[in-house]
Amino acid sequence: MTPIVDRRRPAGAPLAEVRVKRAAYAVGAALAAILLLALSGAAFGHSPKELLALLIGGSVGSPFALQGTLLKSVPLLLTGLSVVLAFRAGVWNIGGEGQFIVGALAALVASRYGAVASLLAAMLAGAAWASLASLMRLWRNAPEVLTTILLNFTAIHLLGWCVNGPLREKAAMYPQTDLAAATLPRYGGLALAVLAAIGAWWLLYRTREGLRLRATGFNPDAATWAGVNVRAQLVRAMAVSGAVAGLAGGIELLAVTHRLFERFAAGYGYSGIAVALLAQLHPLATLASAFFFGALVSGAGELQRTANISAAVATFGQAAVILALIGFEHVRRRT
Amino acid sequence: MRLTRITKSFGATRAVDDVSLDIAPGEVLAVVGENGAGKTTLMRIAAGELAADSGEVSEHGTVGFVHQHFLLVPELTIAENLAVTHRGFRFASHRTLAREAAATIAATGIALGDVNRRVADLSVGEKSKLELIKAIARNPSTLILDEPTSVLTPHESEELFRVMRTLASRGTAIVFISHKLPEVLAVAQRVVVMRAGKVVLETRGATAQQLARAMVATDVGRASARPPRERRAEARPTFSTGDLILHEHEILAIVGVAGNGQSELARTLRDQLPHAAHIPEDRTRDGIIAGLSIAENLALRGVPPDAIHHYNVKARSAGQNAGDLSGGNQQKVILARELGREPKIIVAAEPTRGLDLDATAFVHDQLRTAAGGGAAILLITSDLDEAFALADAIQVIYRGKLSARMTPEEASTRVANLMAGVA
Repeated sequence: MTPIVDRRRPAGAPLAEVRVKRAAYAVGAALAAILLLALSGAAFGHSPKELLALLIGGSVGSPFALQGTLLKSVPLLLTGLSVVLAFRAGVWNIGGEGQFIVGALAALVASRYGAVASLLAAMLAGAAWASLASLMRLWRNAPEVLTTILLNFTAIHLLGWCVNGPLREKAAMYPQTDLAAATLPRYGGLALAVLAAIGAWWLLYRTREGLRLRATGFNPDAATWAGVNVRAQLVRAMAVSGAVAGLAGGIELLAVTHRLFERFAAGYGYSGIAVALLAQLHPLATLASAFFFGALVSGAGELQRTANISAAVATFGQAAVILALIGFEHVRRRT
Repeated sequence: MRLTRITKSFGATRAVDDVSLDIAPGEVLAVVGENGAGKTTLMRIAAGELAADSGEVSEHGTVGFVHQHFLLVPELTIAENLAVTHRGFRFASHRTLAREAAATIAATGIALGDVNRRVADLSVGEKSKLELIKAIARNPSTLILDEPTSVLTPHESEELFRVMRTLASRGTAIVFISHKLPEVLAVAQRVVVMRAGKVVLETRGATAQQLARAMVATDVGRASARPPRERRAEARPTFSTGDLILHEHEILAIVGVAGNGQSELARTLRDQLPHAAHIPEDRTRDGIIAGLSIAENLALRGVPPDAIHHYNVKARSAGQNAGDLSGGNQQKVILARELGREPKIIVAAEPTRGLDLDATAFVHDQLRTAAGGGAAILLITSDLDEAFALADAIQVIYRGKLSARMTPEEASTRVANLMAGVA
């Protein structure tokens, strides 16, 4: 399958120069997306300048706004890392959304045993859900791009059934669950997510297993000749990726929403793909990338409150970033 | 075609340095030189695949380029691959495609067998034939062949030269990039020697010795000449499967025409002996991991980065991307990775394919040293010179079956017949 992100460097270019170039592309894409957003506001009869001010003010303009942005970037950071880990092994895990949901479900059920047990359960559930796709790959050679997407729908309906049925709140007023029995401090999730980013970097770039994982992603044939068990790598990468997405769901439940409802996932799983691509599949760059998308979401919230523009512009912004990245990549490959 | 004062740099390396060259219709021009001398870069510029930093390319008609690596769709059949490049988007039945492909192939005078086989199932030799057919079928006015014989048996090479001569007699200009000097002298009317991006010699009547000297600047003659190695009496079998027995301190060569089961043999041994050293025949697909650094490629087998000095890898540092290296240096990285941890068993498939004299001599030395140190080596090669230069024992592979073990002396009289399946 053709890689979405081209990891080949131009012939002979020194590593540092390439890193700077890559970072420049990513920053350029982010800026281009914001400009596009502001300009498109003109269509709604707002001045771009005003919209830009709202976007920035609503995301990083005040301590309160910054707090909102940081909280929003936690699930994005984790689902982004989940995608980085899978894509680096050449596994197309598009199932972050489903793994996020089953992670949260498991966290809710296990929350009576405390926050730690709850988060462990979330990771296990995410890993197990993702591994369903690996098993289908191993047994029937089913492509994980399809199976993980289908498992997303399965998870969404599982959640819908749970909040309307067995896990519905005692009061039976709304299709939602009761509060989770455990909670995380507000910034506990942020700390965990940052640790996860550092952990993912360490795993990928400082361990033998991480090297094998990346070798598998770059060239599974050559990795096999070099003694790597490629199938085991794929299964492992999928499980780790699912565990991180599940953790994201668990943290979102324990630190932010405290209960589950139908629209709980809110697209965090899919947004993780955008986060990972903007970070050029580097775990530490994912920190910046997640913060940027978190800011985009909070900024879009401010637009909705103040200028009555739908917060869906955040999704538009995400798409614009990816398109700008693809555009840059296209230009780079032609030169 | 005329190239005028072409210059091209990659980063700090000047790959092609102020080169001018004319190629006339009906001429066979050979471009020779060591790995990284700039031959391929120059020809990619001539074919319009790369833009030169400065200089001018003027050409009449089209240029066909047969690359050293394959540009084929492995999931498709031979017929479908030909249709992809020649037929465009018109609808056609599989039978039509097969008929057209067979006709196209017949017109080139190259034998390729059943056109309904998937390219993934072809041997390297067959794939290179298909690449050649693809290029010839377009009737290019200039045809560039990058190391076409490196994957061919002597017989297949002869076939190729016949095709080249026919094409030239019809007015096609042919550029032939090669390391193999006897071939170059046999087929080319004019020879250009490149070294470090420059043309250092242009000649119509040089000897192999003169060409070799121009290529490497230092002296030649190291390539083969086998120093006698002490055979130990206690040499004992370390591995055996079917008709194959490997002994310590011994190099066993498996020779044969490409496509007789060599690839399958190598793959089987890879799966049976995961801890042995394996040098795969297809270096770019199976050997190097281009996206990783040299050090990371080595670390996959636990070999430290400073091995690049021991194995003479020409790189700025071990942190450099392995994909940026020239073919010969990539092979040295693979060699370092596989031999660096002093394995007991080494399976080397076509370890010097496409390498220049220096690199070939180096690989041979490393294999001899490893055998001297006690390793059991299986050398799978389609290069008979290589087999005779290195092997203590020789077996021929033909249609997936191995012949009996022979000493090199026995083999020298019988090998040709066994390879052709007439013995």
